[in-house]
Amino acid sequence: MKLLIRIRAAVINGLRELQANKVRSLLSMSGIILGVASLVAMVTVVQGMVGNFRQFVDAMGGIEKITVDKQALPKEQEHLAELSEGLTMRDVEQIKATIPIVRYVSPEARVGYEKIVWEGREVNTMINGVTPDWLPVAKRWVNPSEGRFISDLDILHKTDVCVLGSSIVAELFPPNVDPLGKVIRVKGKRFIIIGLLNNIEAQGMEIRSASGKGRGSGGMWRWRNSGVYIPISTAMAKFNGNDRLSGLGLQVATGDDLNYAVEQVERTLLQTHNGLRDFTLTTNEQTLEDFRKTEVAFKLSLGGVAGISLFVGGIGIMNVMLASINERIREIGVRKAVGARGSDLFLQFLSEAAVISVLGGLIGLVVSMGIVSIMNYVLMQAVPTGVVSKFDWIIMLQGLSFSVVVGLIAGVYPAIRAASLDPIEALRHE
Amino acid sequence: MGSLATIRGLHKAYVMGDETVHALDGVDLNFDRGEYIAILGPSGSGKSTLMHILGFMDTPTKGSILFEGEEVSNLSPDRRAWYRSNRVGFVFQSFNLLPRLSVLENVALPLLYREDYTEDAREEAAKIALERVGMSHRLTHRPTQLSGGERQRVAIARAIVARPAIVFADEPTGNLDVKNVDRILDLLGSLLAEGITVVVVTHDLSVAAKAKRVISMRAGKVQEDRLQ
Repeated sequence: MKLLIRIRAAVINGLRELQANKVRSLLSMSGIILGVASLVAMVTVVQGMVGNFRQFVDAMGGIEKITVDKQALPKEQEHLAELSEGLTMRDVEQIKATIPIVRYVSPEARVGYEKIVWEGREVNTMINGVTPDWLPVAKRWVNPSEGRFISDLDILHKTDVCVLGSSIVAELFPPNVDPLGKVIRVKGKRFIIIGLLNNIEAQGMEIRSASGKGRGSGGMWRWRNSGVYIPISTAMAKFNGNDRLSGLGLQVATGDDLNYAVEQVERTLLQTHNGLRDFTLTTNEQTLEDFRKTEVAFKLSLGGVAGISLFVGGIGIMNVMLASINERIREIGVRKAVGARGSDLFLQFLSEAAVISVLGGLIGLVVSMGIVSIMNYVLMQAVPTGVVSKFDWIIMLQGLSFSVVVGLIAGVYPAIRAASLDPIEALRHE
Repeated sequence: MGSLATIRGLHKAYVMGDETVHALDGVDLNFDRGEYIAILGPSGSGKSTLMHILGFMDTPTKGSILFEGEEVSNLSPDRRAWYRSNRVGFVFQSFNLLPRLSVLENVALPLLYREDYTEDAREEAAKIALERVGMSHRLTHRPTQLSGGERQRVAIARAIVARPAIVFADEPTGNLDVKNVDRILDLLGSLLAEGITVVVVTHDLSVAAKAKRVISMRAGKVQEDRLQ
């Protein structure tokens, strides 16, 4: 309790000292202000970017997704090109039969980027042949009020049905028209619209759309909301004329099994492809890992810059404290003569440094809010799909405590100097 | 009145480069409670050193000091700080008031380092001390707003606020005009009535003339110790 009272008195004294030397105090704070501001602003912005990456990965099918794509044969296998069949439904069956931890297998037969027509209106978009498994692998759904997705029966009977992405609906149909049951034309062939995909939008995500209005018009999510999906069998029979797949999407039961699953899929595919390496596997984990590395690199470099400015801020405080002690040697002598102990003066000057750094840190936080707001604004102008960083009070608290630690460390040496001054010498000082 | 402090064989030596300076060279003295003493001597005579050691600002190289019956010649810095805040008061030639504090805060300053005083008690004691020196009409003024004589009165209030046993005044009139010299010396003299021992350190004979006992020092030794 006694110590608390002493600290309180020392802090009050520190505030008075600050008030008495406003300009000098502000100058000594400037380093801390800039340090905290840059630290908090940078970490906030990087965090915002990384948060966005995460949502991006999730929208790509999440961490449990494995994508299989066609690939040209490696050099040593080039002479076997004739034997390469590419990806086929045989691969799908084989994976389903042999690898139980793969929960869904979604083969895709891309028709291509085509014009679709409804009553004279037209839109260009990607036409994809898919199976019912496409929905869970893509982590998409069809709201019950907006029809249904492609079924196994559609595949079996090669029906002429299609499911539209929400941005296609917005572009092709006037707002008052219900697209369900309407017939669109693709390369002269007629398809009945049986369902509409859910609109991927910023659900709890800090994403803003370019126009800010309209169904599924959101920037980076626009391509995810476009597209026309038809039964894979229809795509093969009516458009592609072969049973080659353009790719496979797989979903593993849990992300923990990912590496094992990748291994298994690779082995199975090598088997069905007679040892030909005409495919490639990618996972979102790699993407996420890349993002993580980027995050770490960002944090380290920006944190380093901010750390240096905080360090400089600490030197600034130490400098001002030393100068202030030099000016106040007589005062120190008087205080000692009337009974102050070394520890009293130590506490007094350490408190002054602490008060400077706390105030500097608080001002720095305010400045960082300004910086982040400006960066958000600039990013929005440059990249309309951009990231909006949110303020995180934990980061702010960390920034503030960092500044306090720097201030205290910077204050220790001057405080020791003040505490160890000889009162007789100090009183003689002119 | 009874003995306040007894010093025996006090030595203080400083090493300055190759030379050892004997600021005090075997001093024996006794100070009674409520005595008015002048320590007289030219600069370098050891009078300031004697004041610093008796005022618990410094320690002797050799010798013993019995203060209120306790041996205090070899105390730790914190213990000496305790004596300075509880038993001793200082009045300086250049007043040494803190310019940023008000008159009241300056006087209360010694109590800031005492754990037995609350903020209210500090203020109360400071007001009483200021009344004692006739400065209670200037509580909120800054030292710079006061005349030299007024500043020294405030400084005396600061010296007595903690009810010390002894007050040291180091050339207390050195920076004052003639009119104020007497007032300050009379004020110091009036402290005796409260049982405070007053020690005025000076090289000015006319200042020393006010004291009842004059100790003359030269070259670290007591040359003369007489009552007048």
